[in-house]
Amino acid sequence: MTDLTPGLLMILAAGAVPYLSHHVRQVFMLLAIAVSAISLTAGAGVHWVVPVFGQELILHHADNLTLPFGIIFHLAAALNVVYGWHEKRAMEHTAGLAYAGAAIAAVHAGDLITLFIWWEATAVTSVFLILASGTERANKAAMRYLLVQVASGVMLLAGAAFYWRETGAWAFSAMELGSLGTWLIFLAFGIKAAFPFLNGWLQDAYPEATVIGTVMLSAFTTKLAVYAFARGFAGTDYLIWIGATMTAFPVFFAVIENDLRRVLSYSLNNQLGFMIVAIGIGSELAINGAVAHAFAHIIYKALLFMSMGAVLHRVGTAKASELGGLYKSMPYTMVFCIIGAMSISAFPLFSGFVAKAVIMSALGYEGFVVIYMILLAASAGVLEHSGIKIPYFTFFGHDGGHKVKEAPVNMLIAMGIASALCIGIGVLPGVYYQILPYAMDYQPYDGSHVVGQLELLVFAMLAFVVLMRFGFYPPEIRSTVLNSDWFYRRLAPWVLKPIFSFGFAFVRALEAAVIDLTKAIFRLTRQASDHPISGPVIPGPAAIVQVLLLGMVLVVVYAALG
Amino acid sequence: MKMTPIQQELQKMGSRISVILLVIGVLLLGFDLWVHRHGETDLEDLLFFPALYGFAAFVMIVIVGIGLRKIVMRGEDYYDD
Repeated sequence: MTDLTPGLLMILAAGAVPYLSHHVRQVFMLLAIAVSAISLTAGAGVHWVVPVFGQELILHHADNLTLPFGIIFHLAAALNVVYGWHEKRAMEHTAGLAYAGAAIAAVHAGDLITLFIWWEATAVTSVFLILASGTERANKAAMRYLLVQVASGVMLLAGAAFYWRETGAWAFSAMELGSLGTWLIFLAFGIKAAFPFLNGWLQDAYPEATVIGTVMLSAFTTKLAVYAFARGFAGTDYLIWIGATMTAFPVFFAVIENDLRRVLSYSLNNQLGFMIVAIGIGSELAINGAVAHAFAHIIYKALLFMSMGAVLHRVGTAKASELGGLYKSMPYTMVFCIIGAMSISAFPLFSGFVAKAVIMSALGYEGFVVIYMILLAASAGVLEHSGIKIPYFTFFGHDGGHKVKEAPVNMLIAMGIASALCIGIGVLPGVYYQILPYAMDYQPYDGSHVVGQLELLVFAMLAFVVLMRFGFYPPEIRSTVLNSDWFYRRLAPWVLKPIFSFGFAFVRALEAAVIDLTKAIFRLTRQASDHPISGPVIPGPAAIVQVLLLGMVLVVVYAALG
Repeated sequence: MKMTPIQQELQKMGSRISVILLVIGVLLLGFDLWVHRHGETDLEDLLFFPALYGFAAFVMIVIVGIGLRKIVMRGEDYYDD
């Protein structure tokens, strides 16, 4: 039983979800997740191998790196079921369960082909979470999302094929960048991890998904990529600078973005940066930091998306320019949102603090001072957009005039559990660190760390107060902020349209010429048969005579030359 | 313009939180003098470094954000054909 790939059962169970009644379905999904999680107890090793075409597909491989991802993915899937309990339609639940299952199965893939299969499965299942919105806008975003995700999958498959030719193996283990195969795999992972300039799909698609769809999306795809980097490219230097860029540049976009679920998508991108930097360092402490951060991040990011989802569910919008003053009508959601905000901002006693501290220490030990300072500044950025902007413009700011009910009770329960986990991890880091890949003796709470971090955060908050008081803080404006998806949504069509239309015009002209020529030949043939050069005027026999004459000429010439 | 009760309350809350933050900030600076902080880098060990860096980084991010608006901000229906 434990040999079965974790997550596989969830994918199979998803097939039954549309046929069950509302509450039965929710309980059934929780059961499927719980039973799937039993496979996590199989322990380290290879548990399921299937021979295909003389090769071996390793469907279930587990070790100390897969376990933390296996645990958090199951946990996130279960939280999503609770959060979406009120939703009667089956589409999101079916897609969500299969999507989570595919991500979990991908983590346990022992070879690149198995990884590719589940990699693509996460794309085709998750796209329904965006399609479920049912709007024209969401449909288009979903298609763009699918194109990018499938492109990543195709690159992974091509990379795996080259890698197999280069090394004669396709086991998914640590790789050295350098060959075509490894670069393709690196890029495939990079698309899903939302590298700079490959990130447009994330901010484009996530905010277009449904209320519960966005929460589901936030947990899996990008963290699967983080896992893949940790397994395949730990210690790859490029990742340090790529990651540092990722922590920095989304921060500026988040300042000016109006749609708060899109702000959280930029924030997600920035958080991935911290993990990618840590993987780039590659020491045991750094990998622990990356995994700790991924684990904590999935919970507080889901919590933040849940709170904004609850607001969207009740108010009908998640735009900062339209919101404000909701602390009175949605007090519990406000408290949970602030817990998420404090966690992601890394306040002491919250999960972000104990996770990020490990990465910062790893950077310090290895002497990356410049990167360290970039990440420190990016931390002030996290506080700006997720710590302050999200709760401030939603629940405080000004009176948006919305008289709404508190979030549905199932949403409050899910947010309550996520909040408890955020605080639990922050208060008991010793227990939390035990699930990390490598044993470590690390103490995040000492006077220096706590005072230093609080100073950073409190004075950054004071900067907000000063900017607000003096009217320097930019007002929220209804707008579109251009992001890297602009390159394929606007620039590429702008450049390619004239080229294609020229090409099409050329092909059309060529076609017309061929048709004209054909017509001319037909016309001339008919004319020749109507008005033969010699012989009788009656068309039929005249043609036969001509054919016979020509045939004879042909035979004579052939004989003469032969 | 008359303020709604919620707006009045928000304003009061804002002032109160600003004062509380200021008090905590001053206390933290006091701690900084008292505790000999040692960070992961030498730069961090400087007196009041995190406070100054946090404040400056925040202001820089907002200013760059405002500048970025001039380059990348478009109308809400920019992509709607």
